[in-house]
Amino acid sequence: MPLTRKLKTLLLCSLSVILISCGNSEKENGPVVIRYWEKWNGFEADAMRLIVDDFNASQDEIFVEYSSVSQIDRRLMLAIAGGIPPDVAGLWNHALPVYAENNALTPLNRYTEAAGIGREDYISIYWDMCTHRNYLWALPSTPASTALIYNKKMFREAGLDPERPPRSIAELEAYNAKLMKRDESGRLIACGHIPAEPGWWSPNWVYWFGGDLWDGAETITADSPENIEAYRWVQSYPERFGARDLMSFKDGFGNFASPQNPFFTGRVAMVLQGPWIYNFIKNYAPEDFEWGVAPFPSVNPELFPNVTLVESDILVIPAGAEHPDEAFAFIQFVNSQVEMEKLCLAQRKFSPLAETSAGFFEEHPNPYIGEFIDLAKSPQAKTLPGTTVWSLYANEMRQAFGSVWTQTATTEEVLSEVQIRMQENFDHRARRWKRMEETLLTEWEKP
Amino acid sequence: MTRMEKKKLISGLLFISPWILGFLIFSVYPVLSSLYYSFCDYSVLSPAVWVGPENYHTLFNDEVFWKSISNTVFFAAFAIPMGMVLSLSLAILLNCKVPFRGAFRTIFFLPSLVPMVCLAVLWQWMLNGDLGLINNAIRPLLNTVNENFGTQLTAPNWLQEAAYAKWGLIFTGLWGVGHAVVIYLAGLQGVPQHLYESAEIDGAGFWVKTRHITLPIISPVIYFNTIMGLIGTFQVFAVPYVMTGGGDGPERSLLFMATYLYQNAFDYWNMGYACAIGIVMFVIILTLTYIATKLSERHVYYEGK
Amino acid sequence: MKHGLKQKISTFSVLVILVLAGICFIAPFAWMISTSLKPLQETMSIPPRWLPSKFQWNNYREAIEAMGYFWRYTANTVYLCFLTVTGTVMSSALAAYGFSRIEWKGRDKVFLVLLATMMIPFPVTMVPVYSLFKNLHWIGSFKPLWVPSFFAGAFNVFLLRQFFLTLPHDISESARIDGCNEFQIFYKIILPLAKPALLCVALFQFMATWNDFMGPLIYLNDQKDFTLALGLQSFQSQQGGTPWHYLMAASTLIVLPVLVLFFFTQKSFIQGIATTGGKG
Repeated sequence: MPLTRKLKTLLLCSLSVILISCGNSEKENGPVVIRYWEKWNGFEADAMRLIVDDFNASQDEIFVEYSSVSQIDRRLMLAIAGGIPPDVAGLWNHALPVYAENNALTPLNRYTEAAGIGREDYISIYWDMCTHRNYLWALPSTPASTALIYNKKMFREAGLDPERPPRSIAELEAYNAKLMKRDESGRLIACGHIPAEPGWWSPNWVYWFGGDLWDGAETITADSPENIEAYRWVQSYPERFGARDLMSFKDGFGNFASPQNPFFTGRVAMVLQGPWIYNFIKNYAPEDFEWGVAPFPSVNPELFPNVTLVESDILVIPAGAEHPDEAFAFIQFVNSQVEMEKLCLAQRKFSPLAETSAGFFEEHPNPYIGEFIDLAKSPQAKTLPGTTVWSLYANEMRQAFGSVWTQTATTEEVLSEVQIRMQENFDHRARRWKRMEETLLTEWEKP
Repeated sequence: MTRMEKKKLISGLLFISPWILGFLIFSVYPVLSSLYYSFCDYSVLSPAVWVGPENYHTLFNDEVFWKSISNTVFFAAFAIPMGMVLSLSLAILLNCKVPFRGAFRTIFFLPSLVPMVCLAVLWQWMLNGDLGLINNAIRPLLNTVNENFGTQLTAPNWLQEAAYAKWGLIFTGLWGVGHAVVIYLAGLQGVPQHLYESAEIDGAGFWVKTRHITLPIISPVIYFNTIMGLIGTFQVFAVPYVMTGGGDGPERSLLFMATYLYQNAFDYWNMGYACAIGIVMFVIILTLTYIATKLSERHVYYEGK
Repeated sequence: MKHGLKQKISTFSVLVILVLAGICFIAPFAWMISTSLKPLQETMSIPPRWLPSKFQWNNYREAIEAMGYFWRYTANTVYLCFLTVTGTVMSSALAAYGFSRIEWKGRDKVFLVLLATMMIPFPVTMVPVYSLFKNLHWIGSFKPLWVPSFFAGAFNVFLLRQFFLTLPHDISESARIDGCNEFQIFYKIILPLAKPALLCVALFQFMATWNDFMGPLIYLNDQKDFTLALGLQSFQSQQGGTPWHYLMAASTLIVLPVLVLFFFTQKSFIQGIATTGGKG
């Protein structure tokens, strides 16, 4: 009656196969190996590998193992939850608040104090974006600021002075009117500027109108008068050019990372971009492409001069990392002036440190790199809101932008909807924080 | 229980034992823990805190969630029948004695092989409002209509207009019917030739044979593909997620239940809320599958029963 | 004569339909290959061009070099495919037999439970399963990627069950009368008859493992352990653009083995007609 031996063997095999557990290989004597996860691939990864090699060669106690990890934010979340995180990880500054409040990072204050590193060593905004709830959670690796990048040739052809970019939103729109072209059938074929190209920071246009997205404490300010003014400006585009015309105009644009990028093909004359645009121009723009850099015009240049949105890649030590001390030694090494400039030069960005050597400017291939540094130092430099709800907030604001752009709702309607939804979410997170606050603060104080 | 029944029960359980183990480890345990988390404020990294039915309460008042349900239902209502008709017709055609059918079978399977990144870029081009292949094909048609009837029809900007975005997704989704075609083809091999032969003697044509022989005999396979289509479309995630770059599409027209769940779990750090969405999704799909199974019982014909 | 003509006309019309539909279905693949042979400047041109101005065969060599451990990735992927296909076919055939050819009490209720397991959205199980593997110390090894396949996935069990159910009941009965036990019936009678369906399951599992991106991303730590699908990610840099021509060249290399495999498997479907006694 019982099953044949064959079936038994089969079942036994399949069972035993899973029961073989693996023993961790024993550690060899030698340097402490620290694992470093970074989001970069390609030339950006090559740049960081140079620094890692320098560090490994500079001493023989610590060995850094670099790996490129795709979808690092999700991957890191799981690894930390599993209790087996890397020792160092490269994140974006906008992910910092949510990681910090979930107790997923190691506070660095103790380390920086011991190493004598302080806010004064950095362009202050980059130091500030590494802090949350009065603790320091990261040090910057490669930073960025954003500016108006414009096509000088298109300016000249439209009879505009290529050395005199617009300084206010009103001027921008005057330039826009001159740069706009339609073909004989009435289709849009070129324009000066549209807020949807490339549209990476549609929630943040409010900064150029003196607005902000939250008050820094407990209130979301999505529908403040300044923000409504900013989105009204967005709304004026479909009103002036026609929503459908704009859509087919934009549909004719090529991929950003291609020679058909509308900025390189002369379909859009002005864009908001960061220092990386140099790499794209070098790879994809025509040989005779002439470009300039200036602060992106604000609604009132007297009140709000040199407005810029700054972002940064950051280095963190995940909570539960095996070798936090050695990890910090590496982060500190990256943040030394020589290495930092080497890294940022290889990625064609600028150094987040307060001091930049003269040699850096001489060697830097981007002639406008100084402009980006000046903008990062501007008192009107703004960061993405340092709140844990930012990713949801950004999505809501992008939806609002889309509705205004396609004329399916008015500015006032969409922004007040965002306001209600986000304030609810924000309060929910605030309750979560209140519940955890005491435990977390005690834990962060622990040496 | 007779001895015979007992014997059958034991051998039945022995045969399915690999599945039982897997079920306990990879289904029961994770589902119970997500059921628990759905009653918690939980972000994966911070410890879960019991909040009672709060997540469900928020969920039922969350307009965005309702939007995602209606999008999903709309998508499923069109994608399932269209996919079924297309895959079944292709399979029947490919089962005919035509030259090069090996090559044809391979061709219809090709889109299922192309990696997602490549497909996403290609779709964006096909559906491009200005220069897309689809609009280039329909523009002459629209012009003819406009000239003859004095209408003002224009080709849509597929992925930018809320009214058309889901249709774009449904059409591109039809490219992926290769899997279903293969399953139907395998099913068609089980249809005994002698039934066709005797039907032909009675003078039955192609339609009669298909309707009265092919379809009843492969009905278990049709049932399979329908249920899989149901489960698949209700969990649609990867394609719209890649096409919109992780967003919701114009007017949230490409926001589906699974997208919203994923965003909450991994982008918004609301794992508790995501688990509640997961449980609701589970209940919806389970109910629909149950209804489909009940409805099909009369029509599905199992020779082995 | 008249019959032959009618036959020819219908064959011809079927052929026409297939060719027209085939053109639509071959488009993505053709475009992938054409892009893999273009210089970078032409990859994103508008309107899209189907033929490169000059065929860049070097793209393939350069793409392999750019991926770093291409052959290593291939070996890893093949290894995983071998294990998962073996595990899936063995375990799902067993379970499907238990769900279809033996009448036991409560069988169909348990089967509904099996169906239900497919309806669990994956993100909600991801974290518990991850922590399970972590407790077994399996993170960073291949085990989380192949061990589960030995536990009969619901999709494959369902598929095979549907096929086993179409086989006539009498063949089991007569074998039973001849003195075969259940396992012998399963092994000697049902499995050979279900060859097309088993091939189907094996092929789908092979493809699923070959293209799986999420699993390797989550569970593998060391770059040398990566699979091909995960290796493709190395072409997407953050702020330097994507080398589309390399991405497509590497994708083509990855797709080709599956394509060849498919071509030969589908041939076996036709052979299946001759051997499974479709003639009745």
